[in-house]
Amino acid sequence: MRLTLQALISHGRVGRRIGLGPESRINMLRNILTGLVRHERIETTRARADEVRFYAEKLLGYAKKGDTNEKSMKMADFWLTEKDLIPKLFKVLAVRFENQTGGCTRMARIPNRENLDRAAMAVLEYKGNPFPPLFPMKRVSELNLLNQLLKAYGEEKARMVSEKKDLRSLITVFVHFISCNKPVCAHSLRWKNHDKAF
Amino acid sequence: MAAACTSRTRQMMGLLRILRNFSQNERLLSTSVLRHNVASDGPPKFTPPSKPVIIDKTQKEASLRRFLSPEFIPPRQRTNPVKFSIERKDMIQRRKVLNIPEFYAGSILAVTMTDPHVNGNMNRFIGICIQRSGKGLGATFILRNVVDGQGVEICYELYSPRMRKIEVLKLEKRLDDNLMYLRDALPEYSTFNFDMQPVHYEITGDVPVNLLKVKMRPKPWSKRWERPKFNIKGIHFDLCLTPEMMEHAQKWAEPWRPYDMLKEYDTSSLEEHIFKEVQENLRK
Repeated sequence: MRLTLQALISHGRVGRRIGLGPESRINMLRNILTGLVRHERIETTRARADEVRFYAEKLLGYAKKGDTNEKSMKMADFWLTEKDLIPKLFKVLAVRFENQTGGCTRMARIPNRENLDRAAMAVLEYKGNPFPPLFPMKRVSELNLLNQLLKAYGEEKARMVSEKKDLRSLITVFVHFISCNKPVCAHSLRWKNHDKAF
Repeated sequence: MAAACTSRTRQMMGLLRILRNFSQNERLLSTSVLRHNVASDGPPKFTPPSKPVIIDKTQKEASLRRFLSPEFIPPRQRTNPVKFSIERKDMIQRRKVLNIPEFYAGSILAVTMTDPHVNGNMNRFIGICIQRSGKGLGATFILRNVVDGQGVEICYELYSPRMRKIEVLKLEKRLDDNLMYLRDALPEYSTFNFDMQPVHYEITGDVPVNLLKVKMRPKPWSKRWERPKFNIKGIHFDLCLTPEMMEHAQKWAEPWRPYDMLKEYDTSSLEEHIFKEVQENLRK
């Protein structure tokens, strides 16, 4: 047996080792991908979900090329074990993601499995599926008591600031009047000067 | 003393004659100009004569074969593309000095390299290219030949400063990209005469493919060439292996390989882009 360092060091290698070997890995990923295309949202272990994500997006890329493309058809035929999903892939999923280049899938992490193995789980879904969203959308309502109080506080603060500004300008006018010691007419007072006073 | 004086005067007379004739004798123009310059600034600057530009008007550009050397295409890596563009600049600069012709695995080349241990400083080797590997400035190719009954393989670096000349004696392709199996083939398939003359090849149209199927020595071989991993079409398996052995080798076939999207690397758009860049810069 050749004991090379190549076998021990895996710098820059892509593709995790899943299952019993390369064939088993591809078969497993094929099954998961078929399930994903059928149900559009599935729950698996994190590693498998991560691997399938790549293949799911690439398969969509091939599906977008069209039904008539021979290579796309061969790919779909290989990757989807249940053959009634091939028309769904080309006619539903490819159409849904027509204008998007990437980011057609979403992966969300889930608490560990309840079994003895406590495996790290994840949910993998195609975007635009009919189920309720995985991450609830946070909507900020203005009609809460807290938000109303905060709004009022903000308005009052703004009012205080504008009052202070008027007071300041009044004081500068007064100071100017005293220093010059002569009657000041309104139009000679340049509003620009009130900055220079302070 | 008198003799020295007379010789000196003779030299001066000769110079004067030269200087008088300099307007008619244009060959001495450059020397006189240089001598003029010595008085003004430092040592004379050597301006090389303009290189002759050969414009082949017989062929239209569209009909010329589009060939991009495989070492220009960057591998799929997590490196900054700036590194590849800088390397490409250096490669193009080297190509402006040394002409690296188009060749494939299976073409017969003659390489002249500088060698300090040889009398005339140059070392010429002829062989068949069995493999082209490496990307960027470290691109290499291996030439194989059988010299005095001994098989010799030399791995040359395309962009090494020791390279003086690379000539293609015969441009052709074989059925495979990698001809390492010639090590286990009969020696007649790897022997090439050192006095071989270059064979004319066309610059338009497709490269001729040699459909030769090589006869092998008896097993064991250095590698199990019958396995589908190597995907060799250029060996005559019928003469050396039984159908049972061929079937046994098919056990290592990975039928999922062509469908594995992870292993795909689509370089078509990259190639076009790089080809245009290289052509532009080489013309400058």
